[in-house]
Amino acid sequence: MTTAIQRPTRPPFYRDVTVLKWVFQIAFLIGIVTSFWILGTFSIANLAKQNLAVSWDFMSRPVGFQVAEGFTTLPDSGFQALLVGITNMLRVTISGILAATLLGTIIGVSRLSHNWLVSKLATVYIEVIRNIPLLVQIVFWGIVVSIIPDLVVDEGNDGSLKSLFGLRILPEGWIFASPKGFAMPWFVPTDGRWQWVGFMILGAVAVRYVYGWRIRLQEAGTAEARGFLWAGGVLVAFGVVGIFAHAVTGIFGPVFGFLAAFFMNTPIMVFQIALAGLVAFGGYTIIRKRVDELRTPAGLGKLTDDDWFRLSMAAVVAVGFALFFLLRAGPVEALVGQGSVFGQEIGLSQLFTGLQNRFSAGTGAPFDFSLPALDGRFNNYSVDAGHVITRAYFALWIGVVLYTAAFIGEAVRAGVLAVPRGQSEAGFAVGLKRSQLLRMIVLPQAFRIILPPVGNQYLNLAKNTSLGIAVAYPDIVQVGQTIFNQTGQTIPIVISWMAWYSFVSLTLSAIVNRWNKKLKLVER
Amino acid sequence: MNKIQRTLGVLVVLGVFAAACTADDTAPTTPDETTQTDPGTTDTTAASGSTDQTTPVAGQTGGATLDEVRARGVLKCGVGGSAVAFSETQSDGSMTGFDADMCRAVAAAVLGDATKVEFSALTAAERFTALSAGEVDLLIRNTTFTQSRDTTLGLDFGPTTYFDGQGVMGKASDGFTADSTLADVDGAVLCTNAGTTTEKNISEGAALAGATIVLSTVAEFPEAMEGFKAGSCDLVTTDASGLVGNMVTAIRDGEIQEGEWVVFPRAPISKEPLGPVYRQNDSQWADIINWTVYATFIADELDVTSGNVDSIIGASDLHPELGRLLGVSADELQTSMGLSADAFYQVISQVGNYDEIFSRNLNPVGLFREGSFNAQWYDGGMIYAPPAR
Repeated sequence: MTTAIQRPTRPPFYRDVTVLKWVFQIAFLIGIVTSFWILGTFSIANLAKQNLAVSWDFMSRPVGFQVAEGFTTLPDSGFQALLVGITNMLRVTISGILAATLLGTIIGVSRLSHNWLVSKLATVYIEVIRNIPLLVQIVFWGIVVSIIPDLVVDEGNDGSLKSLFGLRILPEGWIFASPKGFAMPWFVPTDGRWQWVGFMILGAVAVRYVYGWRIRLQEAGTAEARGFLWAGGVLVAFGVVGIFAHAVTGIFGPVFGFLAAFFMNTPIMVFQIALAGLVAFGGYTIIRKRVDELRTPAGLGKLTDDDWFRLSMAAVVAVGFALFFLLRAGPVEALVGQGSVFGQEIGLSQLFTGLQNRFSAGTGAPFDFSLPALDGRFNNYSVDAGHVITRAYFALWIGVVLYTAAFIGEAVRAGVLAVPRGQSEAGFAVGLKRSQLLRMIVLPQAFRIILPPVGNQYLNLAKNTSLGIAVAYPDIVQVGQTIFNQTGQTIPIVISWMAWYSFVSLTLSAIVNRWNKKLKLVER
Repeated sequence: MNKIQRTLGVLVVLGVFAAACTADDTAPTTPDETTQTDPGTTDTTAASGSTDQTTPVAGQTGGATLDEVRARGVLKCGVGGSAVAFSETQSDGSMTGFDADMCRAVAAAVLGDATKVEFSALTAAERFTALSAGEVDLLIRNTTFTQSRDTTLGLDFGPTTYFDGQGVMGKASDGFTADSTLADVDGAVLCTNAGTTTEKNISEGAALAGATIVLSTVAEFPEAMEGFKAGSCDLVTTDASGLVGNMVTAIRDGEIQEGEWVVFPRAPISKEPLGPVYRQNDSQWADIINWTVYATFIADELDVTSGNVDSIIGASDLHPELGRLLGVSADELQTSMGLSADAFYQVISQVGNYDEIFSRNLNPVGLFREGSFNAQWYDGGMIYAPPAR
């Protein structure tokens, strides 16, 4: 059978599956873009008919209203007002995720407990919390804050929590409670804090090496790793030493100063070329990687039509972006800090100037332990002393934490139950204690199953913080609403909201996905 | 399989082209449509006395609100629903108050029946959108006339029906008296509702007085009042009428003793002229609203009330201005506005004159006309209507 194998002839392009597939994809994309374009044009035309012109001017103009809490309560522009809303939203989201994870894990494990009371309490908690709408819960907690102080605060003092039902639990002046919220002692950061943070970053790098070293020791069989113990120990050591030695990171100050000057003074053309080069290089790397993957010992593998399309698309996108950066100086200027976004200079240069100032700051302690204090004749909490938890923040935070913890608890329970029974039995058979079994065999396997649903709960938590509007918490939604009430610019505000929540959700899911990928069973 | 795919693909591509073409077509037709409706609208504007024919009519509802309301047989009026004495939803679902009665006056003028009103309770934040979107024909929701609202929202303001000013309410136990000033609020938590001019006024006012405040904005003013009662707000701020209304209600309900809360400062923080709002570029509708309000002013000026209008109308020595206004003289002007001749007679007989509307709703909560800007012009107030001739 030596007859030459007939070379397959390609069908004409209009019948070629690969070609058609991509044509459909591109047509679909055009369809979607066109629909959005049509919708946008129509809505702008309709607004124009109502004499409402869409404009982003408010972003750089003074807003003239106050925000109840945030890094500034008197924003100087619409953009800064939205930034205050964003940071307030992040405060709740990040601390909420940490607390909900902790509480949820405890609830989930409790529900599996052999202790009847513990397991039933966890069940009741979950059933009650997740069957009540979150909005109702948040409003409920807002009302509770107005009632609690009457129950727990001694008559005749300034609202300091002295004793709970006649039982002294804390020194006088440590906890304050009033209908305005709570205040508690806190480590108030002072001017050395950034140097200390820099020191801790060095510590984190050290931890990485120490952890690797312990693992290698165990793999060599010379010692048990105890990686987490070592890592934690090193971090604590750095933290303690850092309180005294943090000033050494002040040497980073001039480095940041140099970077700030570099970004400010280098001609913009250099950055345009550099960015274009970077994009082009990125495109090249992607193409190169794909080609390399297909390389066989016999030489370059055969590229399918599909590959050709992918590679050419990558090339087109890379070249497109490179040209964009080369031809349009504006976005690049804003990025490096030579231009401005909505009248605010927030580029790399400003970032490094800020870091320079922070790292060159004083050599005092990074934190001061400070007790809360009352200010003025209305007995409001002083913002400079201790830590103030406002009524709105508390109601929203406790609401989303309790609510999300109920769902995380169920995900944890499901994950633990999904680990095959044989694993536990095998663990017991080799003589592990129940706690060891949980820590070393069940939880590591359960974690893999728990992570994806818990990641979804994190997304829910982030989005649910927008319900803070019910208790007047000034997050991006509340602040944005105030702006459009004042200016009538509903569409730009809604676009800002959508962009921000998409950004947060996509970032969170990217983190969770990455982690998930790392934890996946490696299959060969 | 392939065939289906291909057909689908062709359809998609065709669809995209079709969509693109439609988009191209619609863009130029928009002005055409406007031109087509132009003659009709210019007719009505000419009839109502406006001679400015060159102004393009941009509003999609240009000149059409009256016809819409007539066809529907009911006036959709946006009110607050929870503003003491201005618009309060009663337990039986009816709406009472000063703003609600102004809506009824317009319904009486347009439809001849003061009961043909459908009230929408709107929050401060949603009121303008509701009006622009056509959910309501008219907005009378203690809304302050400001330059920015007049110019940027695509809306117009009618004559001011209540001259208000922003005040602050505090507790006497915190040391506040009626003579307190904004400088005394330093360090306080102030609450108000979102989407109002109040927010800006208090921020600017406190900054001018050198007071640092925390401003907490809630969705509706009753929430701010709850916070004030519970102690999460040290002070509340809004229009003085609203503060006094809430205070009197609280005293009436026995929640507080008289003098426990005080409204200050003596001179209001700001000017808050409250009045009706309607969509821009509908002159006919604007004229109807304006003159309905003026009719109540003029009736008050000439002492015509719902009680005596019938006897006055039959009298031989009828004031010529009243003859025109009530539609009994031949030279009446209501028909040229698109209303029936007796439109304002219906307003006065069914709803009453300005003083009646004011006294009925606002006197019980401690708001009186004497000595305020809301007195008639000849009493030193600002209630002044142009002549009906």
